[in-house]
Amino acid sequence: MKLKTLLTVSTLATALVSQALPAAAQETLKIGAPLPLTGALSPEGIKLRQGYELWLDKVNSAGGIKAGDKQLKVELLFYDYQSVTPKAVQLAEKLISDDKVDLLFSPFGSGAAKAVSAVAEKYGVPLLASSASSAEVFDQGYKNLFGLYTDNSTLSEPIASLIQERLPNVKRVAILARNDLYPLSLANEFEKSAKKRGLEVVFFEKYPIGTLDHSSALTQLRAARPDWIVITGYINDLIIARKQAGELRVRGQVLTLINGPAYSEWINAVGPLAENVTTASWFHPVLNYKSEDVFGSTQNFVAEFKKKFGTEPDFTQASGAAVGVIAQLAVERAGTKNRDAVRDQLVKGNFKTFFAPVSFGPTGIANSYIPPVFQIQQGKVQVVLPAEIATSEFRTGIGH
Amino acid sequence: MLLLQVLTNGLALGGLYACIAVGFSLVWGVLNVINILHGSMIVLGGYLAFFAHQYFGINPFLFAPFAGAVLFVIGFAIQRLAINPVMGRPVLITLVLTFGINLFFDNAMLAAFNADYRKVIIDPPLGVFEIGSVLLPVDRLYATLLGLALVGALWLLLRGTQLGRAIVAVRMDRDAAALMGIDVRLTYAVAFALGAFMAGAAGALLSGIFPISPVSSGSYLGKAFVICVLGGLGSIPGVVAGGFALGVIESFGALAFGPEHALTISFGLLLVLLILRPQGLLGVKGFN
Repeated sequence: MKLKTLLTVSTLATALVSQALPAAAQETLKIGAPLPLTGALSPEGIKLRQGYELWLDKVNSAGGIKAGDKQLKVELLFYDYQSVTPKAVQLAEKLISDDKVDLLFSPFGSGAAKAVSAVAEKYGVPLLASSASSAEVFDQGYKNLFGLYTDNSTLSEPIASLIQERLPNVKRVAILARNDLYPLSLANEFEKSAKKRGLEVVFFEKYPIGTLDHSSALTQLRAARPDWIVITGYINDLIIARKQAGELRVRGQVLTLINGPAYSEWINAVGPLAENVTTASWFHPVLNYKSEDVFGSTQNFVAEFKKKFGTEPDFTQASGAAVGVIAQLAVERAGTKNRDAVRDQLVKGNFKTFFAPVSFGPTGIANSYIPPVFQIQQGKVQVVLPAEIATSEFRTGIGH
Repeated sequence: MLLLQVLTNGLALGGLYACIAVGFSLVWGVLNVINILHGSMIVLGGYLAFFAHQYFGINPFLFAPFAGAVLFVIGFAIQRLAINPVMGRPVLITLVLTFGINLFFDNAMLAAFNADYRKVIIDPPLGVFEIGSVLLPVDRLYATLLGLALVGALWLLLRGTQLGRAIVAVRMDRDAAALMGIDVRLTYAVAFALGAFMAGAAGALLSGIFPISPVSSGSYLGKAFVICVLGGLGSIPGVVAGGFALGVIESFGALAFGPEHALTISFGLLLVLLILRPQGLLGVKGFN
């Protein structure tokens, strides 16, 4: 609420200044963003906000968004929904009816984005989802929901194709999944991708949230003699699992761990065991897209983020800035902030952003890019697929 | 062979569990304080070992007693300043108090170290013992052995020294102990500080095995709780038995019913045990 007060004060100050300068009668583009700034999801909420802020500063310092013959200042209204989904829904409703926002950015994650999308649909406000990848979010036939991430299956398919092409002798697959919404849905996609290619899934087990020890699961996994091993979970799970797989001498040709290995935090924590681990993610600072947005390229975005926040951006931080640039490009192309015109531009898609080339499919989920496949080689993250942006060749083998 | 490997896994895990729980049991058994801070103290011990390793190259196993010593001082101060004024009150009061201090502690660590997971990487790696085809990670073996050595030292201290007998006496009858000339408040503070010592040392021993982060403190606390109830309060051999029992049960539970049910099995057994033998495996009334 404090932020809101601050924003109101700054708006008032701007209003006073513009009265003093009669020529600058400026319109604003209002965007509403419910964020989990406190509670369980607060680390993610803070990251999303950093992405929004970087974009916002960049746009407003350049005088705002050019829409037709007007320059629109951008005003972002944040509210903290305390990591409680029903509260995010209430706040979205308030942002639309009290604050009269022109567009909405989604709360964090698939579940909350789905809940808020119903409100956006009711009022006809375009909603850009920064962090939803489960197909179930986009299956309601809504016209106002646009998701930046591609479907979970786009993480499993490229790796499976890569393995089939390069390693035809890989036949047996073992999957160990965290028993949690996103990691489990991802594991199911890997199972589908493997079966589709005639690979045999010789082991599929789930481990509970908060597991401190994977030795029993990995002992059984090893006994199944897999060629390709997939483990899903979050960074903490994957540090323990990688270490124990090394100790128990789990062998195979490919080890895929999702999500975590693309970040230096994971690589530092497992040391040499990181070698040759494959993973996939929607974004990584190693990418290099040229873009038509305010940043100009991925590398420039990464440099500006580092300058402002002192660290490299991860995919959540990049997602925050990415929904910003997509909103900007859509308003610029529409030449107005009128919701219907902006929605039409979002449907047309074809936004060349620093994040990826983004267009949305019929359900609203992005379908225009393939999340890159990464591999850790000599302690560095390398892109091994797609070929156009690859920085290194794919390697096989699991280190101990 | 698979069964032998699973048993080895369980024992190796159980040893770590015993290290995690022993300080918690001491404080609960002697002071009748459920120390919610315990998990955070383990994490702080882990951070001390991490930084000692990163900046001075000190092996975390050798560093364990020093991490314990730092936590001893912190524990002593916390007990004297915050907990002593409410000693002897209902257990709920001290529970809420340590819960509050724990919130402060965790957030201070978040602010100081951020939430990134870190881990000590011992170079060259300690490797794995091979007994036939059964594999035993050397770092787990060292952590277990050193942890048990510290537990043994604590047991000797409680049984064989004047300080130890004073702690046990205060636990058995606070008023009678005071009449015998024991400084009850000092004894409480020393017992709490000893619990903190064990937590700090355990944190250092585990710093190469589990990732270190302020958000991990809850899972250590949860395990300590189960182990204490399983092994029986107020008994050091009980904690060791409880730790090993939980490790082995989880390992075989995962083998028999799949890893997703390992926790369900161990909590199910805990419930059965509480019904049949509410004092735990080796529980006793006083602390010895």
